[in-house]
Amino acid sequence: MQLAVFVFAQVVVLVWSCLASAQVAEVDTTHSVFYEAPTRTHMFVYSPSADVQASPWSWLDVRGGWDADVVSGASVATKAGATYQATHPAADVITTASVHDLRNLARGEVAMKGETTSLTGGYAYSTEHDYRSNSMHVNARSDVLQHNTQFDLAYARNFDSVCDRVQSSADTSPTRWVALEDSVGCFTSAPTRTTRPIGIDTYEASWAQSWTPVLETQLTYTAQLVDGFQSNPYRSVVLGEGLKAQENVPSERAREAVTARVAWYLRSIKGALRLSLRGYYDTWAVESGTAEGEFEKWLGESVRVLVRGRFYKQTGAVFWSDDYTGGLSPLGPRGRYWTGDRELSPFWSWLGGARIVWTITPARGRILGILESFKLVGSGSVTGFTYDQFTLGGVPISNARSFVGTLSATAAF
Amino acid sequence: MEKTARTPGRQEMAGKSLLGVLASWPFLCLCVPLAGCATVAPQQRAILADPTMQFDAEGKHEAPLRHAIDNREGSMGGTGVSGGGCGCN
Repeated sequence: MQLAVFVFAQVVVLVWSCLASAQVAEVDTTHSVFYEAPTRTHMFVYSPSADVQASPWSWLDVRGGWDADVVSGASVATKAGATYQATHPAADVITTASVHDLRNLARGEVAMKGETTSLTGGYAYSTEHDYRSNSMHVNARSDVLQHNTQFDLAYARNFDSVCDRVQSSADTSPTRWVALEDSVGCFTSAPTRTTRPIGIDTYEASWAQSWTPVLETQLTYTAQLVDGFQSNPYRSVVLGEGLKAQENVPSERAREAVTARVAWYLRSIKGALRLSLRGYYDTWAVESGTAEGEFEKWLGESVRVLVRGRFYKQTGAVFWSDDYTGGLSPLGPRGRYWTGDRELSPFWSWLGGARIVWTITPARGRILGILESFKLVGSGSVTGFTYDQFTLGGVPISNARSFVGTLSATAAF
Repeated sequence: MEKTARTPGRQEMAGKSLLGVLASWPFLCLCVPLAGCATVAPQQRAILADPTMQFDAEGKHEAPLRHAIDNREGSMGGTGVSGGGCGCN
């Protein structure tokens, strides 16, 4: 936490010194709420953020920002399958109001821009009660063929660590490991706590192309290598009669995705249609497809409205099971690894949402004598999840909903 | 009969999926030259420059929604590489 404040303070000092001589400066703040029901967890997250950007010279942008997640809700502390649940009615344990966390993230970024190229580098540090993250990223962009073609290359490296419980030296088998009770003592010298590293490398290459005055496409390839502790340290999974163990998933995961997007301006209705298709695959055998559509249109000269829809479907991880009590072979994926994570189960979801953007840019002079422009953005969305196999308390979850509402304001000086 | 366990490794990254093929160099070598055929003159770019034609015109505003989606799905990709922290409750 102290380091996050220090990093944020350094970024503010740097950006503030740039503001003094800046040709253009921009300040924005975003506030978002997330609520999920009726998964019995009633997860609620409030996420405020603030960003400052200054351009002291036309070839340089300096950005700094902070964001946070204030989390409250319950979590599934012990997961059992429907079969086991039938004979042990209280096997699934949802710890009431067990999650109270605060994530703070400070970030800074510098971008150098040329006529047709730009190079960006940035760093972010975040802290939670049980998770720490150091993240660095670089991005190179080039415009060619009269700005009709744009190539992007990006790389990010995370050095993260997660808090875990110290297991008894006698418990060498993961089937005997006990889940973390709470985050008390994490990242201290407490003898019952340890930290596990996670390294994340993310690569992205993107090609955007303008084909006609009203048609643009983008093709993006993303790859990610995750190496380290990826289980939920708090969650136990029932493995057999009277036997439960801390969640245990492979330590390596290689992930890749290809995303194709098209933006098409429809002159007849004076609006833009954006479509996106994404295919995803990883070495845990999770495969997914995403289709997304957005339509955005100006209403007058200062208001834009957008409606969106999204469909998503995924398969489960090769070691996923809703019930591990069936005497599985210890050499099989479901005997060697176990998880109660519904994000690794097969499911599909839909999303519907809308967004409105109100921009004020005076033709002459400044707003209130100081602002070059002002922008207010509001949006809301609802997502429905249908889980093919995942159960809670022995009951399939087919009507889970999550709601996200976001409001942001941007002022340019 | 359970399949034999495996520990997924980095070397398994490419080549096993359709995505690997799509992202391979031959595919790009076929597609990228097509870009040279596109001739949108600078004076014709007014609509392309409009915010409604940008894929990520409100990227900061959309970040919380993307963060929520990423933490409820087993997938990722296509929305940039920067980020930090878990926030994955």
